[in-house]
Amino acid sequence: MNKITILLIAFSLSAYQSTAQNTDSLMRNLSATGEGDYATASFKSSRLILSQTTTMVKKYDLDFKVIHRFGDIGGSDGGSKTLYGLDNSADIYIGFEYGISDRLNIAFGRSKFEQLLDLQMKYAVLQQKDKNGTPISFSALLKTGFTPYKVNTGVFDSYGNRFSHFIQAIISRKFSPELSLQVTPGVLFRNVVLATGDEMTLFSTGIAGRYKLTKRFGVVADYYLISSDYRKNNPNTNFYNPLGLGIEIETGGHVFTMNFANAKAIAENNFLANSTSSWTKGQYRFGFTISRMFTLYKPEP
Amino acid sequence: MYTALLLGFFIYMTPVKESVKAVFSTKTAELTLFSEAPMENIEAVSKSAYGVLNTDNGEIQFGVSIKSFRFRKSLMQEHFNENYMESDRYPAAKFKGKLNTPIDVTKDGEYEVTAIGDLEVHGVTKRRSITGTIKVLDGRLEIKSAFDVKCKDHNIKIPALVFKNIAETIRITLKGTFSTIT
Repeated sequence: MNKITILLIAFSLSAYQSTAQNTDSLMRNLSATGEGDYATASFKSSRLILSQTTTMVKKYDLDFKVIHRFGDIGGSDGGSKTLYGLDNSADIYIGFEYGISDRLNIAFGRSKFEQLLDLQMKYAVLQQKDKNGTPISFSALLKTGFTPYKVNTGVFDSYGNRFSHFIQAIISRKFSPELSLQVTPGVLFRNVVLATGDEMTLFSTGIAGRYKLTKRFGVVADYYLISSDYRKNNPNTNFYNPLGLGIEIETGGHVFTMNFANAKAIAENNFLANSTSSWTKGQYRFGFTISRMFTLYKPEP
Repeated sequence: MYTALLLGFFIYMTPVKESVKAVFSTKTAELTLFSEAPMENIEAVSKSAYGVLNTDNGEIQFGVSIKSFRFRKSLMQEHFNENYMESDRYPAAKFKGKLNTPIDVTKDGEYEVTAIGDLEVHGVTKRRSITGTIKVLDGRLEIKSAFDVKCKDHNIKIPALVFKNIAETIRITLKGTFSTIT
């Protein structure tokens, strides 16, 4: 008899509950969107300091970028004579990046360093989702660099020697609204190397991150580990792994990055192979990136 | 024993069955936000707003995922999520209230209604009285409503730098067809 009473009470209680909670539980079911939406803006812009990011230029948007690296702050080329490097420009990059779709971007740019022209394609293979979906974003980057001008040493006697190609996997995760991290393993192929023994196939891994202090202001760091026996124990030239530290400010349509880095060059094709400046010798420089987004066409939502 | 179980089962089933008849829902309601600004009007639409209405007790609820709003400018959409609504932290806006007018769903008709309840936007809840119309048509409910949301009320901060670009009051329009749960 007892059992039956308990059963009855349990049943009637659950019946009451089901009516009382009906709208609430229904709302919960309706709001459950499965995998969740895509994580927005893992990074504010498609570029940090040295690295490119998994953040894509959206369809019909055009990102105009101006990147600047000044001269050495300290060391023999720095000091007050050059106003701590501001008189010199180690590299200037002007480029455009366009969103063919939300997942496919093409970019074109020109560097002062070696007068490098580059053409690149970036494709977002995976995009991070909020809930139980894809935990990371993954973009594949393909870049071809071309040096249009002859150099005196005659190394560019053949056109093929003027090309360099870069392939990189950009893997990122937005851990919280503030913290995003990414790793970027890549390979650089060059037909002409610096000297005998320099690897024509040069492997590198970048580690970069952003931590937002306010909604529009954050700190960024960017480091590249270059795997090269030639660079490790070179008796003639010292090579250093590029490291950049800076701040990032967003003001509506612009994203500004102000940074310090030892790498002189801006394009991967240049700075991965050719970073001979050292932080400890004062050979780091002030630099900035300005990214301005233009919406070329606005479809109905 | 079996009789008792059967009886319990019967009691269990009855109220649920009754309440189902009175509960209407949607997950494809259209919610638009609009605000006129000197530089550029702010306009966005979500076509996946969801809602539940229980005509037995007048309980009405609405919700919308902030990330489901689509803007014409993708950068505006990003700033809406990242800088204003902080959608990672506050993923949805909700309303939970009660209708002041009983709705007879057995015959077609139109009702001017007021719902009094809590509106939660950007993690801040405000007591609101929201008016709208409910049209009963072939056993379905067409719900329409329009109301204003003040950014200030919900602690949505607009920096002085972009103040002129963004209006302080956002007009919300809601349109949805609710049907019974089968």
